[in-house]
Amino acid sequence: MEQLFNFKLEKISNFSNKEMLERKKNLNFFLEKGFPNKKDENWKFTDLNSIISKNFNNITNNLDFKFEKKIDYIQEFEHNSIVTVNGSLKSSDMQFEDKGKIKIDNLVSLEEFSLHSNNNLYHLNKALTLGGFDLEVKENYKCKKPIILYNYFTSKLDNKIINNSNKIKLNQNSELILIEYNICENSKFLKNTFENINIEKNSILKNISIQNNKCNGYFYKNISGVQGYNSSYQNFLLTSGLKFNKVDVNISLEKENSNCFILSGLNLNSGEHQEIKTKINHLAPNCKSYQKIKNVLENDSIGVYQGKIYVKDIAQKTDAYQLSKALILNDLAEFNAKPELEIYADDVKCSHGSTSGSIDLDAIHYLMTRGIELHKAKKLLINGFLNEIFENIPEKKIKNFLEKCMEYQIDRL
Amino acid sequence: MKSEELKNQEYKYGFTTDIDNIRAPRGLKEETIHFISKIKKEPKWMLEWRLKAFKRLKVLKEPNWQKPKYPKINYQDLYYYSAPKSMKDKPKSLEEVDPKLIETYNKLGIPLNEQKRLSGVAVDAVFDSVSVATTFKGELDKKGIIFCPISEAIQKYPELVKKYLGSVIPISDHYFATLNSAVFTDGSFVYIPPNTKCPMELSTYFRINASETGQFERTLIIADKGSYVSYLEGCTAPMRDENQLHAANVELVALDDAEIKYSTVQNWYPGDKNGVGGIYNFVTKRGACRGNNSKISWTQVETGSAITWKYPSCILQGDNSVGEFYSIAITNNHQKADTGTKMIHLGKNTKSKIISKGISAGKADNTYRGLVDIGSKALNSRNYTQCDSLLMGNKCGAHTVPYIRNKNSSSTVEHEATTSKINEDQLFYCNQRGLNQEEAVSLIVNGFCKEVLQQLPMEFAVEAQKLVSISLEGSVG
Repeated sequence: MEQLFNFKLEKISNFSNKEMLERKKNLNFFLEKGFPNKKDENWKFTDLNSIISKNFNNITNNLDFKFEKKIDYIQEFEHNSIVTVNGSLKSSDMQFEDKGKIKIDNLVSLEEFSLHSNNNLYHLNKALTLGGFDLEVKENYKCKKPIILYNYFTSKLDNKIINNSNKIKLNQNSELILIEYNICENSKFLKNTFENINIEKNSILKNISIQNNKCNGYFYKNISGVQGYNSSYQNFLLTSGLKFNKVDVNISLEKENSNCFILSGLNLNSGEHQEIKTKINHLAPNCKSYQKIKNVLENDSIGVYQGKIYVKDIAQKTDAYQLSKALILNDLAEFNAKPELEIYADDVKCSHGSTSGSIDLDAIHYLMTRGIELHKAKKLLINGFLNEIFENIPEKKIKNFLEKCMEYQIDRL
Repeated sequence: MKSEELKNQEYKYGFTTDIDNIRAPRGLKEETIHFISKIKKEPKWMLEWRLKAFKRLKVLKEPNWQKPKYPKINYQDLYYYSAPKSMKDKPKSLEEVDPKLIETYNKLGIPLNEQKRLSGVAVDAVFDSVSVATTFKGELDKKGIIFCPISEAIQKYPELVKKYLGSVIPISDHYFATLNSAVFTDGSFVYIPPNTKCPMELSTYFRINASETGQFERTLIIADKGSYVSYLEGCTAPMRDENQLHAANVELVALDDAEIKYSTVQNWYPGDKNGVGGIYNFVTKRGACRGNNSKISWTQVETGSAITWKYPSCILQGDNSVGEFYSIAITNNHQKADTGTKMIHLGKNTKSKIISKGISAGKADNTYRGLVDIGSKALNSRNYTQCDSLLMGNKCGAHTVPYIRNKNSSSTVEHEATTSKINEDQLFYCNQRGLNQEEAVSLIVNGFCKEVLQQLPMEFAVEAQKLVSISLEGSVG
């Protein structure tokens, strides 16, 4: 039988001996257990090992970053841009911003090596990481235009794995809208990303992830964030079209009055599997968190939501909410949810709701009596179901653009 | 009840009864199983069944995914069989029963004596490991209803037992269920013949008396086509410093159009204020709605035990079958509970409803953990889940861990959960009308639990309501 993977550290060069040693240690940790499977509670509904075994063989680390083509930039609104190719930072253009206010670098050294993670993909990432970026917004600077991060994946990535580490830091009183826009050529690859986010006092980060076309990539992204006093983090996950995607968000609201929003609207089609896993740690009083996850499931797609709200005993006056809703359009589709609460403070308002079911037949009937044909009526309802999550985007042009993307996706259903 | 009185109220059922015991040799080994089987005069197939379970047990590992952690149990240090000596020659009637035993039950307020027939409860009382006496036998016999200790059923109705025992909880299910299959000592057996409505509530009373013993009872209830039965279970245990293990298995089988209602008021010794002692209540309860249009309803009021770890579940196999789960779990001081249910929808048009109320006070931890699984062939199924938690103070915890799986497009699953504390306005309102803090809390909590308390049969509802108030003593103010 052919090997599932064959990772070679030697091919990644230019590290200090110390770093090489750490990488080796991490690789050994990974090799001990391999890819996580459903016996691991965090992967209960997503057996990564079996998914990978079915679709890949002889996976090797990617070393190819060649790129000659031109990227089609988004024309709908003015923006700054960063381009990565196969996970490696290629160029950046901060044309609308003041000089020296935004720092963007290749992430070179890996400062923190921790060997105490029970996430085996972390060890894999730390062993093989290459590329990724370090983005910083200086104090008291509010970005004038959003930054679009174009992630381009070339056609030469079959059976490759990309390991990235990113860092995003917003210093005090700063603001940034970061839109991640994936463009994939036709190849089947794995991407394993670990991202560290630090949002300081009074800062706001809005992070939107969107996919422009169908993609055969298998994505895992781990976001761990720390929030300061009165800061805000908003994450919109709109990555429909990926073959496989798991986003693992771990946010700590460390100081008072901070808030965190995780909103997702996905419509999944045949063979697609997406999971959103969140853990919001309320560690200080008066914080707010809000999660709204919406899935439309066609054919044999699988949608998963595992969310956890943790409230520490001192975090009184916490307001936390989780909502997951799924529209199941086919008997082969599946929706799994595990909305979890772990609460140690009494003066809190914590609740969650989860529903899954089919389209409301009464609503369809209503629309059809008004002369709208069945197909259109369904689309209208799906659109209405998903559109709700855009309410929190005040920037009109971006909102219009996202709505257009969504409509396009629904049309494909 | 005044708050002063409440504060001083210790565990009411914490008395011990001095009765000579016969015990199995200490420890978990094949010899123990032979001993239990022999003393119960079991047929060979039963012994083989037990040994099969024991063989399986050797490969199984104790689960450790639960929220409340506990120190490792030394299974070799326990007694797996303990019986009052006077039971050796089984009494034929109540007069022959050791008066001390009767006294114990009287203290507990069980209507063991048939004179109390007005209360209309037929009781099968399990004391440590053996059934003491079963009341109301004659009347049940007339209807063809079998209600007897399971050890008796093994001898008298081997075909029924063989057919259904282990059919809902297989012997290799999980560690504690398998342990129970190997060493279970007694429990109740109920069979309701077709088209029969059991005329009274059947009831079992469990009590752990001897120290260092685990109680492993096994209950099997079969409701044949078109029958109905309501079954009550109550539990208490004396105060002891060490932790005692209670690992029971309860299996329910409902055939076509049958309905089983199973209610539990669990009041095992919860340990003292500092969390010393108390019962580990690791119970496996599972019901199978095998027939079409069958129904199983679980109601539980969990106020005792140091650790409660159980998930009364329903397997909805038959088309149009219904599963229900109503639960109140109250934890105070150092108590911990990890409880909930599993609703597994397999048949078409199956329905399930889950109402869970968790209350935490003191330094307790209360977890609702549940599974709703709608299979791909369970078309038009429906589930509604509501879990509410109430917290008193910021040293306790309330957690909700629901697992929801939906695998077809015509089924609907709804889940709701809230966590909050007692509303200040409501408290103020009660105070204003002359209720003191304790009374006000008790009133509000009872209101919070009402949806579940309503499901209990009358006699139990009154007791449960009192228990709810007592369990929370000293947790406010």
